[in-house]
Amino acid sequence: MSVSTRSADSFDALFAPSTIAVVGASATSVAGGNRFIRHLKAFGYPGKIFPIHPSAAEIEGMPAFSSVSETPAPIDYAYVAVAAQQVPKLLRSFAGRVRVAQVMSSGFSESAGGHDLEDELVRAAHDAKIRVIGPNCLGVYSPRARVTFTERTTDEAGSVGIICQSGGLGVDIIRRGQNRGVRFSGLVTVGNCADVRPHELLKYFLASPETKVIGLYLEGAGDGRHLFEALRAAEGRKPVVILKGGRTGQGRRAAASHTGALAGNDEGWKALAAQTGAVLVDELDSFLDALLAFQCLGPRSLPARRAVLFGNGGGASVLGTDALARSGFDVAPLAPGVAAKLQALKLPAGSSVLNPIDLPAGALQQDEGRAAETIFDALSEGGGTDALVIHVNMTVVLSFRHVDMLGNLMNAVLRVKSRDRSGMHVVLVLRSDGDPDIEGPKREYRSRAVAASLPVFDELNAAARALAAVRHFETFRERLAKPALI
Amino acid sequence: MAADVKEIIRAARGRGSNSLDEPVGKELLASFGIRVPASRVVTSPEELPSAVAALKPPYVLKVVSDEVVHKSDFGAVKVGLKDLAAVERALTEINAALDAKRIGARRWLIEEMAAPGIEVVVGGVVDPEFGPMIMTGLGGVFVEVMKDVAFRICPITRADAAEMLSELRGAALLHGARGRAPVSTDAVIDVLLKIGGENGLLTNSADEIAEIDINPLLVTSDAATAVDARFILQKTAKR
Repeated sequence: MSVSTRSADSFDALFAPSTIAVVGASATSVAGGNRFIRHLKAFGYPGKIFPIHPSAAEIEGMPAFSSVSETPAPIDYAYVAVAAQQVPKLLRSFAGRVRVAQVMSSGFSESAGGHDLEDELVRAAHDAKIRVIGPNCLGVYSPRARVTFTERTTDEAGSVGIICQSGGLGVDIIRRGQNRGVRFSGLVTVGNCADVRPHELLKYFLASPETKVIGLYLEGAGDGRHLFEALRAAEGRKPVVILKGGRTGQGRRAAASHTGALAGNDEGWKALAAQTGAVLVDELDSFLDALLAFQCLGPRSLPARRAVLFGNGGGASVLGTDALARSGFDVAPLAPGVAAKLQALKLPAGSSVLNPIDLPAGALQQDEGRAAETIFDALSEGGGTDALVIHVNMTVVLSFRHVDMLGNLMNAVLRVKSRDRSGMHVVLVLRSDGDPDIEGPKREYRSRAVAASLPVFDELNAAARALAAVRHFETFRERLAKPALI
Repeated sequence: MAADVKEIIRAARGRGSNSLDEPVGKELLASFGIRVPASRVVTSPEELPSAVAALKPPYVLKVVSDEVVHKSDFGAVKVGLKDLAAVERALTEINAALDAKRIGARRWLIEEMAAPGIEVVVGGVVDPEFGPMIMTGLGGVFVEVMKDVAFRICPITRADAAEMLSELRGAALLHGARGRAPVSTDAVIDVLLKIGGENGLLTNSADEIAEIDINPLLVTSDAATAVDARFILQKTAKR
């Protein structure tokens, strides 16, 4: 039986392999390949694992094979972690037996004198008619297929697909992301992108039904035009968030014209974001927050502009209003009908029912949280609220030990969301002082909320930025939906 | 149209030049439907009377030379010339300035002076990552000091072009700020599309053209005119 997918651009073999070959596991020590096999076993990978070794009979308690031509079944995905010099020859031996290979080995174009070897790798991949991810990367994570290249990754599958040019940052994205509630359809580290380029994986994620949201971490240069064309053709089908490293470099040319002198490294990426609806972010936390927001919130057909802020803490309300305004939101007074309904609640002294709606912690709990529910209902029914940002000072709220104030509040939000017809985005900001007895419960509340598609952020400015990311995508789709101007 | 571009550029390269001089650059713009001032090129003072007679006053006189990059710095641009006598005087003055700098160029461009309007800059550059990109901004301090510009990747759509103008911090000036009449943003958008749209000049010739400056593009209530244009060619034609 032989396989060849050089022409077919499906990366299913990468994200859902039935058979995995591991080249670069040792019979006597613990090499990269051994760790990968151990991760696969610990993660419950249900497919077949074939260690490949020139002489060993057994590796990690499994029979080893001298080459991929000896394995009892063809290989969907080959994990390669051998010395760089051996890689081209090895790839040629994969011809007709391997669909996708991922080369972890370094010593290619990222290091001095490695360019020729990388060219050789590409030629070998072409000749063997296989697709090659890498070299110089760490692996792939696909919870639905129980494949992982690192430890402590959740087996809960999600809808966020990631293409990551840095292996280490890929681990950060998974670990920090999953702790925030981001759940992945897959993450692939792509390293030098010698054969498979980021835009090809982007197209795969755009087409794959498991993936709803796409994130890219990119560094270095080379794939911008292809990414632009792929994103433009996608016409805002799925939200795409791009974290691009190296955008601060100064103008790269001795420009002869004004225009050339003004064209820095950043202009192209900003233009791409404006022309394709992709969201450009500057750092890892904004990246994860934007992904979480898109995971939880469906895009509105009318972009979110009017925000209502609700929570406890006057100072936090003031700063939150500033953060929202800075991110382009209108924190305007409530519509008269809505304001009247809120006034009729006769909330305790110290409450403010303008916008921001600022309630002391005790009032959050009035009538076991029913006051808050009435307020949310009034906002949902009264119109004029595109985004509701609920912020909670956890230290204060958890000091009311006899009641589950935050739990009641969250239940009220979820009940209102279930009957809301306004399509308002609802997000939660859980503000913590960092004490372990606050962080513990925060973690639990966060996971409950995100599971119910209520995204949680650590601070108001993070929530404002994430909502602005969603609005950027909504605005782009609104522009596309308008009749053509030409 | 595309053949014209190739021919014009081949001819410039044949002369050993890595840029297009102003009359050739404007001819290229005109061939793409961008308005440029009516003009004549003269190579001796004797040709001035017939050139002036063919154009409407007031006139602008400029030297044409690869050696003179910033014409106005050399006193090599004279504007608001009312008649032949003024044009002849201007030519004598420009020659004196060039002689002082030991610049030997002896071709001149005489043009009809464009109606006053708002100065806009339209530029193009071929980016190593994204290929052809188009830029616009408001002229003078807005571009040079505040760097208030918007870039887009070619080809742009009409909606892209409109968004470029609206994201400029100085956009209000186009809409008639400070008691002035609004100018035609449609005319600017048309120029942006002719340079960077589908089949635009830069979009289709990024293998030949490295950088473009149309500075200024003079915009009135109903038109946009490229008053100066500069083209830098790729070092060698790509592809």
